[in-house]
Amino acid sequence: MSGSPDAKWDWEIAAKTSWWGSSLSELWSYRHLLVGLVRRDFLLSYQQTVLGPLWMLFQPLMTLITYVLVFGKVVGISTQDTPPTLFYLAGIVLWNLFNDAFTNTSSTFRDNAHIFSKVYFPRLVMPLAQLSGQLLRFVIQLLLLLAVLCYYVLFTPWAVPVTTQLFLVPLAIALVAALSLSLGLIFSVLTGKYRDITYIAGLAIRLLMFLTPVIYPMSYVAEKWRWIVQINPLTPLFELFRLGLLGKGNVTSPQLFYSGAFTGVLLVVALLIFNKQGDKLIDVV
Amino acid sequence: MAETVIQVENLSKIYRLGTTGTGSLRQDLQRWWTTAIRKREDPFFQAPALGAKPSAVQNQALWALRDVNFEIKQGEVWGIIGNNGAGKSTLLKVISRIVRPTRGTVKGRGRISSLLEVGTGFHPELSGRENIFLSGFILGMSKDEIRSKFDEIVAFSGLELFLDTPVKRYSSGMYVRLAFAVAAHLEPDILILDEVLAVGDAEFQKKCLGKMREVSQKEGRTILFVSHSMQAVAKLCQYGLWLQQGMVRESGRVTQVVNNYLLGTQNNNIKQTWATPEEGPGNDQVRFKAVELVTHLAVPDAPLDIRASLTIKFQFWNLAGNAVLNAGLHLFSYGGECIFDVPSPSITCAQGVVSGECTIPGNFLNDGSYFISLVIVRDTLIEVFYFEECLSFTMEDFRGDIQWQGKWMGTVRPALPFQLTQPETIIQ
Repeated sequence: MSGSPDAKWDWEIAAKTSWWGSSLSELWSYRHLLVGLVRRDFLLSYQQTVLGPLWMLFQPLMTLITYVLVFGKVVGISTQDTPPTLFYLAGIVLWNLFNDAFTNTSSTFRDNAHIFSKVYFPRLVMPLAQLSGQLLRFVIQLLLLLAVLCYYVLFTPWAVPVTTQLFLVPLAIALVAALSLSLGLIFSVLTGKYRDITYIAGLAIRLLMFLTPVIYPMSYVAEKWRWIVQINPLTPLFELFRLGLLGKGNVTSPQLFYSGAFTGVLLVVALLIFNKQGDKLIDVV
Repeated sequence: MAETVIQVENLSKIYRLGTTGTGSLRQDLQRWWTTAIRKREDPFFQAPALGAKPSAVQNQALWALRDVNFEIKQGEVWGIIGNNGAGKSTLLKVISRIVRPTRGTVKGRGRISSLLEVGTGFHPELSGRENIFLSGFILGMSKDEIRSKFDEIVAFSGLELFLDTPVKRYSSGMYVRLAFAVAAHLEPDILILDEVLAVGDAEFQKKCLGKMREVSQKEGRTILFVSHSMQAVAKLCQYGLWLQQGMVRESGRVTQVVNNYLLGTQNNNIKQTWATPEEGPGNDQVRFKAVELVTHLAVPDAPLDIRASLTIKFQFWNLAGNAVLNAGLHLFSYGGECIFDVPSPSITCAQGVVSGECTIPGNFLNDGSYFISLVIVRDTLIEVFYFEECLSFTMEDFRGDIQWQGKWMGTVRPALPFQLTQPETIIQ
């Protein structure tokens, strides 16, 4: 017998799952897999389609037209000084990031059960790959937004009010992405175990959109009901995003701090749940 | 002595049968409250006690693994054998970190790659080239590693022409070849394989076995291998681990474990009789009444060894009336290779019992396990009934005054007339 001390082992598998799961260095060693998965999803979503990657721009444009017609013209929500097109497009692009990243990460265990049950890699790679893919889409849609913005600045009398908050836009994007990932991770565990949660999640996210200033500005909400919208940690982020890019938005530092703290705590909780429950779920999904 | 790379201690895994969880969120919450917060026993599910009888199913719980202990050293090739549901795949999954054990630990050293399925991570829509990378990444290879081996992988698969075709247009054979080619070029310290050779054609299987042998012998890699093909296990592995109902039944040198496994699963099968035609195996034309293996031992009460001749006796009911029937006797080695196929002369049989007898001479078969299948043929042409593996037996070795103790080669060991003379000598 070799009688080696425990310290000589490289790894150990025991009944208990650690809260932290895989280490950062382990995640890093699987970065190629992450890139490969993003590439796969990108190739797959546009294989055998007519428009191909143009769908990424087509979808927000169609939504934009609908919103401008329905909420702008028919319902008549005032977007104040901001041109409605820019106002809605900014909301749509950021909401798409949140919505799509959440939807894709929340089905991690259901969609990948066949892979998870056959090979080991840090499970977190899958949702991170989904998020990365969505961020990539977001960047492309953001370029569309910037192009439309340039058009308005150059060819219309509307002048973009330059704000110092422009540098806070990446922060807003990062927080939206983190919030979406956190919720996605928590729901991936739930939907792995109880399939019907998927429908609830879909419904909840659609309702959440109406509690987020996507199709209306904060100033449109009556004072009496404003707190409901403000309780939503997404609200300051959307307002900050518009404030930075379009120069109009209703956000204060405490609100932003609330969003940041909420997201931070939720992300930690979500990672813990994901790691702790992920191993157990393999027996179930 | 080589260092231990995997140490498995008291490993157990319990699966719950039936619905996962209790099936409802309310009861799950209740269970969580009682077990996690109040630290009481699970009200809906009781884990069987360790000392309980080793019946596999208890309280809707299944012991997929039960107190498994073993140790694997660097460079060893282990074959894991056992019946379906013996826990082989679960063991591999626990070692590969896919599922958590319920109790016990696995400790190890070095990088593990597991191939529990051919083509994990393959996507049918992507081209062969894309899939080589994706599947390589999933199996834990780095980009540089795949790049440097890309040509080798392609050459091994033999699919140079189809690299840019989506794999959904591949034949299943091509798919398997590509998938195995990626896996074969993994460079882990420990390789885990589950029944991957069950697919693919004979030539490719041979190639894979060759590759695996090369990997283990030349590069000193440790391999754990599950297969139902005893021939593959016996050829490839040095050590065998026999699992039965989640427990280790035997472990040690592969030839011994495989032989005992076959004995355990197939022995006691030297005589079978059926009282009425309804009970006997067969169909509406013939039904077996009895099959029996009579051994003629050189020394009475000794184990059956290669010197003994064997007589196979069988009786069957001919239910169809006048028919020209003959029987065929197929002898198989434990690996499933047919050693011979001897037909009996045909006779015209009326309704009633037909009996037959065939003798295999002593000093003819090599040592090992064998099984016999019988076939009844009508008009020397139409197979009426094939009675598969109706008898099995194991021939022990007997060397007499031969000093050499290595494994005797060959499937048969006939005592042929063989002379050695010396017609002239050199006189100095």
